[in-house]
Amino acid sequence: MPVPSHHIVPLPPPFGAPPYPADIFAGQTVLVTGGGTGMGLAMAMAFAQGGANVAVIGRSIDKAEAGAARIAALGVRTHAISCDVRWPDQVAAAFDEAERALGPVSLLANNAGANFPVLAEDISVNAWNAVTRIAIDGTFLCSTEFARRRIARGQGGAIINNSAQYIWTGFPGDAHSAAAKTAQATMTKKLARDWAAFGIRVNAIAAGFFPHETSTAGRREGGTEVLQNMIPAGRTGSIHEFGWLSAMTCTPLLAGLTGQVIVQDGGESLRRSLMMPDYVPPRERAEGPWGWR
Amino acid sequence: MGWLDGRTARLVGHCPAIATALTAQGATLVADGDCDVLIHVAPPPPVQLAHEQSHAEWRATLDAGLDQRFLLAKDFAAARRAAGKGGTVVFVGAPEQALGADQAAAGGALGNLTKTLGVEWARDGIRVNTVQTEADDATLGNLVAYLASDYAAYVTGAVMGVGLDD
Repeated sequence: MPVPSHHIVPLPPPFGAPPYPADIFAGQTVLVTGGGTGMGLAMAMAFAQGGANVAVIGRSIDKAEAGAARIAALGVRTHAISCDVRWPDQVAAAFDEAERALGPVSLLANNAGANFPVLAEDISVNAWNAVTRIAIDGTFLCSTEFARRRIARGQGGAIINNSAQYIWTGFPGDAHSAAAKTAQATMTKKLARDWAAFGIRVNAIAAGFFPHETSTAGRREGGTEVLQNMIPAGRTGSIHEFGWLSAMTCTPLLAGLTGQVIVQDGGESLRRSLMMPDYVPPRERAEGPWGWR
Repeated sequence: MGWLDGRTARLVGHCPAIATALTAQGATLVADGDCDVLIHVAPPPPVQLAHEQSHAEWRATLDAGLDQRFLLAKDFAAARRAAGKGGTVVFVGAPEQALGADQAAAGGALGNLTKTLGVEWARDGIRVNTVQTEADDATLGNLVAYLASDYAAYVTGAVMGVGLDD
């Protein structure tokens, strides 16, 4: 069903009008994990719009390089690095390479993640490990590597974590990601406390539905147009407004913001009626565990 | 270019940092009447042990921290609907657990009221968010101004703080 025409749907400003000056991150380098595509690329573009140089890391160097090229078109320096964030030696090496190419990393966006709809009983050990460890271990390893370097330099910094709107409710049909994304949010609060004395801020966005070319939704047959009406806001999110809020938390405009998990989901996680459609267990849903229609 | 260029904002309650941020981002502050943005700041109630608090003191906190906010937001939303326009509401107040039981009740209720109104009024184009914090500085002002602007068009029903103890 399309959104009824008498409903009012708030829209963000266009991509070309970011909420901060073009030099707000001038002279700084951000490292974005999984920054070559999707939500990570949106974060990287947003930091670049504020003048940050961008280290794009990802398991696929091809995707990282392609993303870096798009970011560089905004007029900043970029560097693509192949890295699996589950392994501490690879993370340390990626930071070394990023700092050799672009200078000290003072901003970090933990975005790397994997996610796909699957019944809990069908999640293999490998799949469980992949989804949970990229998000949980990867966020821990990149954040601690970042913090050790900032502390050693006697300088602060800012971290933003890409979490998800389903961290408070669970997500039937997505058990691995439900666990992983919640860990990112809860560690955000503790890392912020651990590092407050060092001037390192840590925040997270509990992101809703931001379709993009590499998301499951983006690949959905028929596109995402028919999904707009299921969101209270009357639309799915625009990927650039997610990038902006992520980068905003790292600006001096919000210098006192730390330990916060900000939900940005158009009210999706808050849908609730006393009477709801019959409950269908994920394994019995006609269109798979996420049950999109 | 400001986040709130061309917008009118009504700031209820005392918070110079928020007033400064709203005007710095281009909003025109208005005292009453129809407006695009409603910001409601409730002062933190004094800290008291629950068994030493009178019912009148209890009720004063709930009145300022919950009842008056709901009634004001309800009137704001009605005016926006009548005008055929969307709008934004941002409630600002003390953290839920930092003070007394009165604030715990008012703050908790406000949080879930925010989540409810954010969705109930979503298709009116009216967003509702809350910042519960002990901060009273430029970060608070900028955060509130951001939430009030179209840059936060996909943020509604959100309850957040500013610092570690919020």
